[in-house]
Formats: sequence, structure tokens, C-alpha cells
Amino acid sequence: MIYDISHRTIYDYSVPVPGARCVLRLTPANRPGQRLISHAVTAEPAGDLTEAADFFGNTVHRFALTEAHSRLVLTARATVEVTSLPASSGRGPTVAAARLAALAGRDLGPDAPGHGLFPSRHVPLVEAITGYTARSMTAERPLAMAVAELNRRIQADFVYDPQATDVGTSPATAFAVKRGVCQDFAHVMLAGLRGVGLAARYVSGYLRTVPPPGQKRLEGADATHAWIEVYAGEAEGWLGFDPTNGIAAGLDHIVVAVGRDYADVSPVDGVVRAAGGHDLSVSVDVVARSERAKAALPAG
Amino acid sequence: MDANAQLEFDIAPDNAEGDGAAALARLLAAYRPVAGSHDELLDGDGRPRAHWRPFLNDLAALGDAGLDRAISAADRHLSDNGVVYRVYEGADGRERPWPLSHLPMVMPAADWAELARGVAQRAALMEAVLADLAGPARLVASGAVPAALVAGNPEFLRPLAGVTPRSGRYLSLYAVDVSRGPDGRWWVLADRTQAPSGLGYAVENRIALYRALPDMFERRGVVRLADFIQRVRSQIAGPADGAAPSLAVLTPGPANETYFEHAYLARVLGFPLVEGGDLAVVGDTLWLRDVEGARRIDVLLRRVDAGFMDPLELNTASRLGVPGLVHAVRAGGVTIANALGSGLVEMPALRAFIGPLSERLTGKPLSLPSLATWWLGDPAVARMVASEIERFTLAPAFGRTIPGVIDSQGVDVATLEPADRQRLVAAIARRGMDFVAQEPVRLGTTPVIEGGRLAARPCAIRVFAVNGPDGWTVMPGGLGRIADKPDARTLSMQRGGRSADVWVLGRGVEPPAPVLMAAADSVTPRRDSGGLPARAADNLFWLGRYLERLEATLRVVRNLAGRTADDDPDQAGHVSARRLADLLAHWGAAPNLPRRIEVATTAALTGALPGAAPGLVDAIRRTATAVRDRLSPDAWRILGELKRALEAAAAAREAGEFGLAEAATTADEALRLVAAFFGMTHETMYRRAGWRFLDLGGRIERGIAVARFARRLSGPGADANDLERLLELTDTRVVYRSRYLEGLAARPVLDLVLVDDAHPRSVTYQARKILEHLGQIVGIGATTDPVIGPAMALVDTLVKSGPAEPFGPAWIEALESGLMAVSDAVTRRWFLDAAPFVGMAGRREGTATPGPARGEP
Repeated sequence: MIYDISHRTIYDYSVPVPGARCVLRLTPANRPGQRLISHAVTAEPAGDLTEAADFFGNTVHRFALTEAHSRLVLTARATVEVTSLPASSGRGPTVAAARLAALAGRDLGPDAPGHGLFPSRHVPLVEAITGYTARSMTAERPLAMAVAELNRRIQADFVYDPQATDVGTSPATAFAVKRGVCQDFAHVMLAGLRGVGLAARYVSGYLRTVPPPGQKRLEGADATHAWIEVYAGEAEGWLGFDPTNGIAAGLDHIVVAVGRDYADVSPVDGVVRAAGGHDLSVSVDVVARSERAKAALPAG
Repeated sequence: MDANAQLEFDIAPDNAEGDGAAALARLLAAYRPVAGSHDELLDGDGRPRAHWRPFLNDLAALGDAGLDRAISAADRHLSDNGVVYRVYEGADGRERPWPLSHLPMVMPAADWAELARGVAQRAALMEAVLADLAGPARLVASGAVPAALVAGNPEFLRPLAGVTPRSGRYLSLYAVDVSRGPDGRWWVLADRTQAPSGLGYAVENRIALYRALPDMFERRGVVRLADFIQRVRSQIAGPADGAAPSLAVLTPGPANETYFEHAYLARVLGFPLVEGGDLAVVGDTLWLRDVEGARRIDVLLRRVDAGFMDPLELNTASRLGVPGLVHAVRAGGVTIANALGSGLVEMPALRAFIGPLSERLTGKPLSLPSLATWWLGDPAVARMVASEIERFTLAPAFGRTIPGVIDSQGVDVATLEPADRQRLVAAIARRGMDFVAQEPVRLGTTPVIEGGRLAARPCAIRVFAVNGPDGWTVMPGGLGRIADKPDARTLSMQRGGRSADVWVLGRGVEPPAPVLMAAADSVTPRRDSGGLPARAADNLFWLGRYLERLEATLRVVRNLAGRTADDDPDQAGHVSARRLADLLAHWGAAPNLPRRIEVATTAALTGALPGAAPGLVDAIRRTATAVRDRLSPDAWRILGELKRALEAAAAAREAGEFGLAEAATTADEALRLVAAFFGMTHETMYRRAGWRFLDLGGRIERGIAVARFARRLSGPGADANDLERLLELTDTRVVYRSRYLEGLAARPVLDLVLVDDAHPRSVTYQARKILEHLGQIVGIGATTDPVIGPAMALVDTLVKSGPAEPFGPAWIEALESGLMAVSDAVTRRWFLDAAPFVGMAGRREGTATPGPARGEP
């Protein structure tokens, strides 16, 4: 499946700011199962924009603007092909084996399990979440099966409710109210998996959305999405699960960045010296090529 | 065995007088070393160790009275110098006096030399381990250090992984907490590599204890610290390349626990003290926002933990650091000491592997070992420890509290209830990698003075070392830390306990390292000022304003309380006193419409209103604290006395012993102290921008105050009483009387008070000084400066034009607003360009409706 993605972030300041410095993670990843065909990031006003890879191998753009401005527009466009991954051997590790594997590695590379094993800034360990998770994590169960069950439980037990939480909500709070958005569900699931001694990481990206039958696709109505990956040993690597939807990550999931939690992957992060307030608007479009082709066909 | 009986025979004082022996016996009467611990004073047989005997004799010779005098001398020094640390309790945190033991910890030369060798070796090993783990991580690939201990360590800074520091080294300063085991050998309790604190306190302890026991210090040949401090200074500055090295000490700010030390260290080392808001990264380099223009910083000595150093690439919530600093480090544009990432090797878990690492990296065994430590990330080790868990102390693997599980200080399992013990065992079974197990600490003990007698208390020493091209140099001394209770196992200053100076004997044994004198031709005289960060300028400016505001308040109080004028302040018919009391109320120093003058003066001196003297002194001390590195210790002491003078007044009021006479005395004394502070700063501060901002603030405030006095006391209906008070408030009575034999009249009084150039309290005089300061600070082109220029022109016009309507209230008010306009312009021009940092990440993920396409082919 080939996707065309556009992601635009606009800052409007009530008082002009003297400059800006930010880090952008807006470029989809090149990785097994996903091929980045083209990409471009632009800024208006143009500043000093450099592309690099961060520790986890995510593409980042570092942007520095030293010119006073009252509006900043950051635009990222990419074309990505998502292919199906080779089928799992089906002989994945048990929960107990995956726990040992998470500790056994001898490298610190971007995909090493150690990075996902410990609490992180937005994901402290929470006893209640660990207990909730442990019920699915019997030691001798195959890991993939146990995590899939946890994934389904979160989807079933939690209510999708953007009003219930905000960007600073802790996993403990989201867990207590059993409400939130994908970021909350991912953080809760990470806290649980790490709590029982498994390595797990945060994935940010996009999810292809399909309008309800009979309705037109709305431009800019898509959003970034978040899910998790759990470490299943050297042979299987990291397995993706989307607790918001209770499914494994698949052809509809486009990976942008991985990290320990949201703090490692937030699409735009930075600081600006602002004397006044600002408005922020984000619009995201994720369009599958096949849909575009279909839409071009005459109706009927 | 009765140790004390033994002592009386063993050591007679040098003068062999009976009362000396008796004094010694009294000192030691209650001294009981802790069984099974090494004691610094007594050996295993209960006899004083040889190196302690002369000190015991000295102490006995001092007698009770001498000891008391020594103790108060030390305490007075600490209190006068405002040596404090901040206790994190409640919302705002409070300052506590620094608790100093009045006895040194005494270390024989040979003992210390061995310890110092061990510290130097360990420091070098830490550097080697850091260079590997933060770089190629060969130790991880080979299995010598588990990957999880790096990957899971909060001090592993991913944005800087593989980046070698520009200076080529991670550690400039290293500190290690050591204590003696039961056999007298030194053991490491903790390594300090991030931003080792305590050096400033150690130097203060030395000064305070020297004040207390100067003869003892000199006679016993205690090694001095000056050489080491000079070495720290030169090593951190790095090799001089002819230009003045540009350094700064970065502090989190006055709210930090050890801010006193940051300011003190900056002063001792001679580097400016800065906060994150003073700095900016432009391109690949770091700049200090300075009132004299931006100045490049080459080396930043940080007292801020690495995670907070860059909100852009490290902790995005931090407001203590500098956005882009990581980029500047990566680009080699700045040296940070210690390098970002140095905190990685502080983790307790590393101590489980450090012995073999020493063999591997240096080929030598570690001569200064750690407490036996096991990391429980290895399931076999975890099972072994869990089976005998009550034998161990458990601590978090990375040294940070795990909420609800274990505190950063660790826990002695034997002291836990069975249920808590079971909870820990279960936590280890789930996530053993979060824990280390250690042998329980058995700290050595050292004598302290308790109620005039010696008592044994557990102790540890923080030893400091500095890195240089010729290896590590260890400070001959350290920060002794002593527990309050005989059985304490932790020594955190946050939880009580006291500190001690460490006296290393043997001065003259080794020649001092040749660092005090630079080679004759290597230093050229320089006249650069060291600059003035905008924040420091802001605080100096306000320090000047608050001091003058206090002075004005005190003058009004003295005038009212002293009844120098003929009118009776408490009689309704006489309004001039009432006018001044109203002025106090207007300034927020006293309540509105007090029935009696005494109420107004008491409130202004001891009240809780923000404009009353105590509130102003708080503001003075707050601003002074922020520029502490720029004030002389003498000036600082005066502020302490000022605070005490007002506290005494408040106490007298509590006791119901505070009337007009006491108010006049208090105001007199406080005015003397304010004058002393100004005198001290004017005599000692270098005549650069810092002094000018202090004086500028003072001049503006004084000009405003004098204008207000004049307006209140010269309006329609002003009588002789008013004019008399106005002359007294401005110290002008003598001049007036000698100049005008005709008696009091409004115009000549106002001429003298407002526009007489030669009178240092006149408004015109303040205006001239203000113009001079502004001209000097801005430099050439000051009058065309877009912000300062108009303010200068305004003041200039007011001063030159003279009274349009001679000395009328409107003109006086114009003077006042002109001065306030200058203050606004100064604020806009120098202080306000740092709007607060605001995060740009405002939108979280997943705020659109979820639901993937299902059933798609």
C-alpha cells in the first residue's frame, strides 16, 4: 500500500517572537515492512534546517530561526509504501523467555531491548497497571498471544475520550479513569509491559482512516497516531500492537518514529521566547494511492 | 575496659598541670565508640591514637570557657557570612544555618596519602569507564557491563551518545564519599561525577574552623587548601591561549539547595555566576547575555544536572538550561565541566562491576574498593539475594527513588516489617534490574562536641579531586559529614547531621605543587571586567533601589519618632507629622490612618506590610543573594546585621517594650547599617557596570523619595514644621542654617533640597549621577540609543530647564515621573529581552477519531 502524507503545523503568536528552535520528527521511517519513497520538510519563514538521525534512527530535522516572526508554518510531505511483513514463525518466545531476552543483549544500538525495559519520563511504573498486565502475562504463555490479549483488554476496558485527558496526563490517571486517547493507551500499555519486566517501546506515526460509508473524506481531518512495540527476542525482534484499536500493527500503520515514550518522538518539540500566547493548528492528511485512484473513477 | 581510666594515665597535657588532666578527663568522660566500628580518636584498646593526642591536649588547655569562645567564633563566622543550605520542605523551602562540627576530623599524613592515591586511581578509572560507555561501549559488547545498566540509566544521554567532549575528557572534578570499615580501611560509599557539590562548603568550613582554633591549626601543621583551589581554577580554565579564558558557573538559581555554594565557588574561582536564562546558543557557540554586549563562553562549570541542561534535546520541561546547548556541545563549540553524561557512572549498580573493570582497563586492582554490591538484574544473583534478603541493604540500581518501591537512600532489609520485606522480594522477582544489594554499611566514628564533652558519631568524608594534563590531584582535606545519632546509616544533610572540616596533617612534608605562581611572562595585565550578565545587572539595580527605599522609610520613622520638630505628632492640630505618617501608609509601610504616630512607626519597622522594613530587608537579601558572587563578604555581613537589628525590634515589640524611643534607636542603627553597606560597596566594588547598576538603582530611588518628601511637605499650607522636617529628612539643616540666617522659607528650602547641585541628596544631584551612569554603561552614542536616549533627554531637560512654575507641585511631580521613566527605560533596555521560554509541543497524538480501515483487501 502506498500512502501520500502531508502534515502541517502552524504557530500563530499574538506577540512576535524573536526566533525559534525546534526538533521535528515528521519523516516516516525506512524499515522492514515500510519504504520511504520521497519526503520533504519545509519551514516558512525559512531558517537553518538540517536533517539527521537521532539515537533511535528516527529522521529528525533541527530547525533554528533567528528572525522575528509572528507565524511559523512547518510542512512535511512524504510518500511511503507499507508492505506486509514476513509471517512470524509462530514459534515465538514465551513471556518468561522474552523477559530474559530483554536483559541479555550486549549492545546499545537503536533497536536494543534495554532502551524499552525501564521507566521513562512519561511512563513511570505503576503498581496497579503492573497488576492489571500481569493477569495476561503467565510465564509459559507465548508472548505474542499474551500481549495480544492485553491489547484487546485495553481496547475493551478503556473509552476513547479526547476530553478526559490532555498531553500531560500520567498513565496512572488514564488508567484510573479508563479513558483517553491513543497516547494514553500506549503509555498505559508500556507501563504494564515494563512493569512485568518486558521491554516495550512507543511508536508514533499515522493511521489510515476511512470515512464512514457514504461520506466524503475530509481534508486535514486525520491525525498522528501512537501504538507500541514489545520485544520478543533477537529472532522475532519488536512486535507492534495498537491498543487503541485492539489490533496488531499492520498495513494501515505508518511508522514515523520510535522511542521510550512520547517525549522521544513528539512530532514538533522546541522552545521559543514568547511574551504573549500562541495558537497552534495541525492538519494531517493520509491518503492511500488506491483511494485516490478510486476517487478519480466516475461515480457509479 | 574503662577507657577513661586508661586515658588519665596515658596523656597528660603538655603543661602537666593537674587541672589540664582534669579538663581532659571531663572532655572524655562520656566518650563511647560504637562497638565494631573504627573510631578516629581511640584505638581498639581504647587509647587515643597518637595523632589525636596533641589535639586533645590543646582542647583540654582551652578549658570550657576557651572551647565556648572557639565555638562561638566559628558559628559567628558562618552566621555573618550567611552560610546556609536550603531544605526541601513544603512549597517554598527554607534556609537553614550550615551545621558545622566544632572539631575537625584529623587525618595523619601517611593515612591520607594512601587514601589520596586510591581516590586518584578511582577517578582515573571513572574517566576511563565513562569514555567507553558514553562512546564505543566496548565494555558492553564484551559483557563486562550489562547493556541494561547503560540503556536504563537516566544519565545515559542519547543525543550525545558517541560524541567525545571537546576537551577530550568527561571529568574535570570528581568527588567520592568514603568511610572507614571496622579494620580502618577506606571504603567507597558513593561516587560523585555529575556535578560534585561540597567544595565551597569545605572551604567555608575551613575558614570557620580556623577562626575557632587558629593556634591549633598553625601549631599542628595542617595542610592548606589554597593550592588545590588554585589548581581547580587553572584546570577548569584549561590551557591559556593568550586570550582571557571565558568561563562561567551555571547554577539552577537561588531556590537550589546548595545555591550558597554555587555563589561562593564562583567567587572563590573568580568566574561569573550565571543562570540558564543568561545564556543563549547562537550557531555552534554559547553566549552570555551581558549588559556590555554578548560574550562568548568557552567553558561552563555546571551545577545543573545534565538532563536539565537543554530543553530542546534533553528534558523538554526544563527551564534551567539553554536551548541548543547539546547542539553546541556536539559541534565542539563549548566545553562543559563535568561533561554532559558524566553522571552515568554514579549509579550504585556500577559498583557491582567496578573491581573487574579496574583490572581490565588499568591492569591494576582497585586500591579504594566499594562496599560489596550485587546487581539483581542477573536472575541467579537475584535468587541468591532473595533467599537471605535480611542480610542486605537494598538500593535502587540507578540511585534514584522508585516511588512506592524504594527510596534513593536504600533500605536496610533487617529493619523492615515482614510484609514490607515480602513486597520487596516480589518487586525483585518482577524487576530485579531495578535493584542492588549491598553489605550493610558500618560507618567509622569521629569525635564531636556535645554539651562541652566529646562524643563518637558515625562519619564519612567527601574527598575532591581535579583532573589535569598531569593526572589527578586530590584535595588535602574534604567535606566531613557526621550523623546526629550514634547508629545512623545515612548522612544526608537534608535529614540532619552536620559537616566537619578535615585536617590533614603534615604541612611541609611535601613541597606545594607549583601552581600558585604562573610563569613570569605568561600573564599579561588585563583590564577586562569579567562582564555583567543581564540578570545580575537587574538584581544589582533592584538591590540599589530597595536599599534606598529602606533608607527613605527609616528616615521618615526616625523623623517621626525623634520628635525633632516642635509640633506634637499626636495632636490633631499639627498636621506635619500626619503628612509623614500618611506617606508611610502610601508606601505600604504602615496601615492607613493610624490613630497614633507610634502605631505608624512600629508598623513601619516591624510590621508585615510589604513596604515595611522587614519586607524591604527580605527583598534586599533576595536580590543580594542573586548577586552574591559580586558582593564582598564584609558587605554581606552588614546585611546580616541589618536583618538582626530588625528582628531584635520585632522581638521587643512582641515583649511590649517598643515605643517611640526604641523606634528612633532602631531606625538610627538600621540607617547606619545601610550607610555602611553603601560605603562598603562603594569602596570595594570595581567601577564597572555592576557598580553602576547598583548606584543607578539607588540614585533613581533616592531622587523619587526626595521629590515625594518635598511634595508632601511643601504644598499649600506648609508651615515651619513641615520645612524643618524636610530639611532633616534630607540632611540639610546645617547647610540651610549657615546659608540663610533669615529663618525658614519654602523657596530656599526647596532650592536646596531639589536643585542644589552640590547637595548629594538633591534630586538634581541624583539626576546628574544617573546621566553619568547611563552614559558610561551604554558608551558612545548613549544619547541616540533608542530606549535610553529619550530617558536621558527627559532627565536632562528637567534638570536644565529649572522650575517652570517655581517649585510647584506639578513640577516636582514631573521630576518624579521623569525618574520613573528612566527606571522603565533601564528595565526595557537591559532586563526585559528575556521573555520566558514556552514549549512548542502543544498537540498530543491521536486526537482525531480512531478506527482503521477494516476489511481492506
